[in-house]
Amino acid sequence: MTSLLDVRDLTFHYADRAGAVRAVDNVSFSLASGGSALGLVGESGSGKSSLALAIMRMLPSNVARYDGQIWLDGQELLGLADDRFRQEIRWRKLALVPQGAQNGFNPVLRVGEQIIEPLVVSGTAGKKEARARAQELLAYVGLPTDVYLRYPHELSGGMKQRAMIAAALILEPPLVIMDEPTSALDASVQTQITNLLKRLKKELNLAIIFITHDIALASDVCDDLAVVYAGEIVEIGSAEQVLLHPSHPYTQRLLASIPRLHADTTPQFIPGAPPDLREPPAGCRFHPRCPLAFEPCAQENPPAFELADGQMARCWLFEDGQEER
Amino acid sequence: MSLLRPLLVRSLTMVGVFFVVLIMLVLTLGLTGFSDRILAATIGEQLRGERTALAETIRDPDEMEKVLEKRREELEIFYGLSTPWYYRLPRTALRVLTLDLGEARTLRSFDGSNRVFDIVTERVPNSMLLLTTSLIITAAIGIIGGAYLATRQGSWLDRFVSGFAAVSFAVPTWWIGILLILILSIQLRILPSGGMYSTPPPTQPLARFFDLVSHALLPVITLVLVSFGPSIYSIRTITLNIAQEDHVKIARAKGLPESRVRLRHILRVAAPPIVTGLMFGLAGSLSGSILVETVFNWQGMGRLYYDALAGTPDENVIVALTFIFTLMYVVIRIVLEALYVFLDPRVRYTD
Amino acid sequence: MSMASALRELLRSGPGFGGAGLMCLLILVALYVLLAFPLDFGESQWSNPVVWVDNPKAVPPTWTNALRREALPLHRVFEGTEPHTVQMARSGPVHSWRFPLTYASSHPPTFLAVTLADVKYAERPPLVLISLKRPDGKQLRIYRHAVRGPREDESGPFQRYAQTPLRVQLSTDEATVTAAQNFLADEFDLRLNGAQIGGRVDRILFGVPAGDSDEAFAPLTGDYEIIVQAALRAEGDSVGKVRFVVGGAVFGLMGTDSLGRDLARGLLFGLPVALFIGVIAAFMSTAIGTTLGIASGYLGGRADITIQRISDIVANVPVLPLLIFMLFIIGPSLWIIIFILVAFGWPGLTIQIRSMVLHMRTNQLIEAIQSLGASRRRVMFRHILPQITPYVLAQLIFAAPSAILAEAGLSFLGLGDPSIPTWGQILETGFRTGGIYVGYWWWIVPPGLCIVLTALTFMLLALGIEPIVNPRLRQPAS
Repeated sequence: MTSLLDVRDLTFHYADRAGAVRAVDNVSFSLASGGSALGLVGESGSGKSSLALAIMRMLPSNVARYDGQIWLDGQELLGLADDRFRQEIRWRKLALVPQGAQNGFNPVLRVGEQIIEPLVVSGTAGKKEARARAQELLAYVGLPTDVYLRYPHELSGGMKQRAMIAAALILEPPLVIMDEPTSALDASVQTQITNLLKRLKKELNLAIIFITHDIALASDVCDDLAVVYAGEIVEIGSAEQVLLHPSHPYTQRLLASIPRLHADTTPQFIPGAPPDLREPPAGCRFHPRCPLAFEPCAQENPPAFELADGQMARCWLFEDGQEER
Repeated sequence: MSLLRPLLVRSLTMVGVFFVVLIMLVLTLGLTGFSDRILAATIGEQLRGERTALAETIRDPDEMEKVLEKRREELEIFYGLSTPWYYRLPRTALRVLTLDLGEARTLRSFDGSNRVFDIVTERVPNSMLLLTTSLIITAAIGIIGGAYLATRQGSWLDRFVSGFAAVSFAVPTWWIGILLILILSIQLRILPSGGMYSTPPPTQPLARFFDLVSHALLPVITLVLVSFGPSIYSIRTITLNIAQEDHVKIARAKGLPESRVRLRHILRVAAPPIVTGLMFGLAGSLSGSILVETVFNWQGMGRLYYDALAGTPDENVIVALTFIFTLMYVVIRIVLEALYVFLDPRVRYTD
Repeated sequence: MSMASALRELLRSGPGFGGAGLMCLLILVALYVLLAFPLDFGESQWSNPVVWVDNPKAVPPTWTNALRREALPLHRVFEGTEPHTVQMARSGPVHSWRFPLTYASSHPPTFLAVTLADVKYAERPPLVLISLKRPDGKQLRIYRHAVRGPREDESGPFQRYAQTPLRVQLSTDEATVTAAQNFLADEFDLRLNGAQIGGRVDRILFGVPAGDSDEAFAPLTGDYEIIVQAALRAEGDSVGKVRFVVGGAVFGLMGTDSLGRDLARGLLFGLPVALFIGVIAAFMSTAIGTTLGIASGYLGGRADITIQRISDIVANVPVLPLLIFMLFIIGPSLWIIIFILVAFGWPGLTIQIRSMVLHMRTNQLIEAIQSLGASRRRVMFRHILPQITPYVLAQLIFAAPSAILAEAGLSFLGLGDPSIPTWGQILETGFRTGGIYVGYWWWIVPPGLCIVLTALTFMLLALGIEPIVNPRLRQPAS
């Protein structure tokens, strides 16, 4: 069975004045089919947003290394020429709702214009047709249709987020990457948006890559979870596996740091700070902060070890088959 | 949604500016006693004229003095000299507001009128021609150069332009004009050193137009030369800031062609702050053109200032010029404000 | 940041180093000018034509000769007080002054002038004779002057030319023209009338007839001698001072203007004036701007609104027309210029400082200090002012060039203070008298360069300072 999205050994480094920043290193994951969602979870600065940009091929001018393979719907994307990638993939197959989508709209153009822009520019639809489609989408995401004629500053944060989602859907892409889509919103609006995402999955058969620092929120929306640390995916598996049986010490700490309402445990903070991606620690990138670290950890970076039914973890603890969990 | 209300609100400051200038004019004229002196001189002149006329009929010197004294009192009431300046001048200000600007002493309009209104207004198009041409060229260079420079941030060209912009602030525009005359007209004899037309001016319309262009070239180059550095640099900075905003990222993610991203999602968004920059630079541009017109003997309002100041000073002309200049400034500002409100939906009110 | 480390950082940046270096240089020169020039230089010297009468008019600097194929004649001034030789003649003592002159230029002098001063005699007036000895051995008397005799109501000893020395422009003096005429007739058998000689006396005296036409003269180079003789009538009579000028076609370091004024001196004096205008105007408008800005941001309420409205309006007034108008009405005065520049120069800073203060007021530290009971005034001066001081300093330096340029522009329009020469005024005379149209570049270019250099010095300094004071303070104003 081929999956909808298959990312293999994706690596993306960029150079700044102090050296190469290894933002994404050897990342592999796949997303089975439409209607499912993968959560990319990690602290800020872990490289999860860079991963989104790397998939969208929105690279900075100082990119130092960009390789690996991305298979989308049976098509390899990295080998595609820039022009074809822009015309055939962006927004058509792969849309993005960026971090801080609050500012995702051009402030001097009407919202509607911006939603239909890709449709009109590619010449797929006339303006009238495009408008009808956009208004339909606006209604679908729960906005009044007159939003079409409004300017971004006239919308609230939640409305802008919905409008941004509507914009992402205009070319009916099979996959949408959502980068922290709810982080700037208050709790009730957050819930509305997550409910909307669930509806999109179910009703439109949309595949979603959901990027967040909030593992609880991710588990609400996503079927699979990938935990990102220092530019690498350290653990990946179904939401259930990762939440109930976290294997990687980092995942365990991350879960322990979440305050729980009905529990006696006090939230644990992870000691230390995420590493500088210019000079990540040798060996396992988590080992300086890891309470379970032993000799091999500092020597060599562990590969991903398969634990059970697709759950994988990059940790030397699992070198000899499936040891204790 | 209305464009009118925010425009009115924004124009209010300009109306305030206009009245502040008017009040300053009145206060200066009144407090220094200048207005009284001018009126007394006018009355004296008129009396001298009448004395020669009366000398025909009145022989007795005593009676003559009496008649003249009475006449003087009449004239003082007529001109308002009998009342203190703070009663008289507001009325004068009102008169000036209705563009009743009086008569010039020695200056004449091109067709010989001595009405200040004629003298000043015939210069306005000439000034506007110079000012708008140079502003448009500066803006065009600024937008193209700034947008280009934003893509080469940190390059040697970028650093050079930022240094050039800083130097531009330290250079008097009019001196550049003089240098250009010295080099291009006097030494190399490429372009005329001043005036608007050759003498005699060509009669054929096309030749006349090219004659005007050749005369306008140096003043326009001067004005552009000192302003394009700062213009490129500020637009570069504005563009750079906007290019880093999220909506530009999204526009690229949408698969839009790069040209469309630049035009609609960067430059279009930069338009309002660029207009703001123009507004802040306007007073400077106007001042620059006063001096540049003087240097190039360009028959605009700036040169008129110089002519009214040199030789026998012409008070009415100077008062009127200051007034009309402020008026012109305020009008252009309001046009720019309107442009701003039109370009930036964020300042518009929603119902 | 300490002063010392801020200074170090300033000197490390390119513009900062350049600006600081130039500023030191400018200040040194300005100090020299203040010590070496009288404070009333403008009235007592610059605007006083007597001072410059012996200078050639509108000539380029001397060093331009290095760029010419044929050097222009240098300006030579000979002065004597004590006579070089004293002889006894029958009529009385004869005092002579002999001035040797090696003349190398192929151009004649631009003029010849003699000045006599402090003549004293007991009874009968002395007679002054001036002769020119040429390299070809020929000698001619070019001037003869009988000092004025006693008036009827006067009694000896008599004094002449004490207050106003006698100055004679020999090139145009009738006696000299006649002398030249006779000289040509006697020595070269060339008879020209007065009209043919007029205006070419210098060429005749320093040349020989070229032969091809009656009116052509070839230059005669070599060693000349100017001999001034005073035939006195009694022991004790004297001529106190003799001055002979052979006018050059180049002068000094910077040349002269059309009145013969030494441009180097004018340019030098312009420096402290420009610095003064820049610093005073910038300082005062910055002080007002800062005070109002702090007041507006800190007091809030009605005071804030009032100050905001006023600064909004004042910031948008087009200043130049108003400046022209007020200077015209009140009369050109440096103080009025500075006053108006200050009166309209403060609002920009007020608006910025206000937003900075607003930002700081919400700062937790300030809130804590206030809750501890510190007075408003104390908070303002002890806690807010020190934080914005570096920024204000940078703005102060930024404000100076515009004041300098504004004064120059006004002077150029003829509204400069006539008692104080400035660079703008020098340019204005150069422009008004048509100096640019005949290519007097030394009159036009240097004053402008001085303005640019001074303004640029402030700009560089400000550019160097900005990154030091700003990162902490340039927070987006909300």
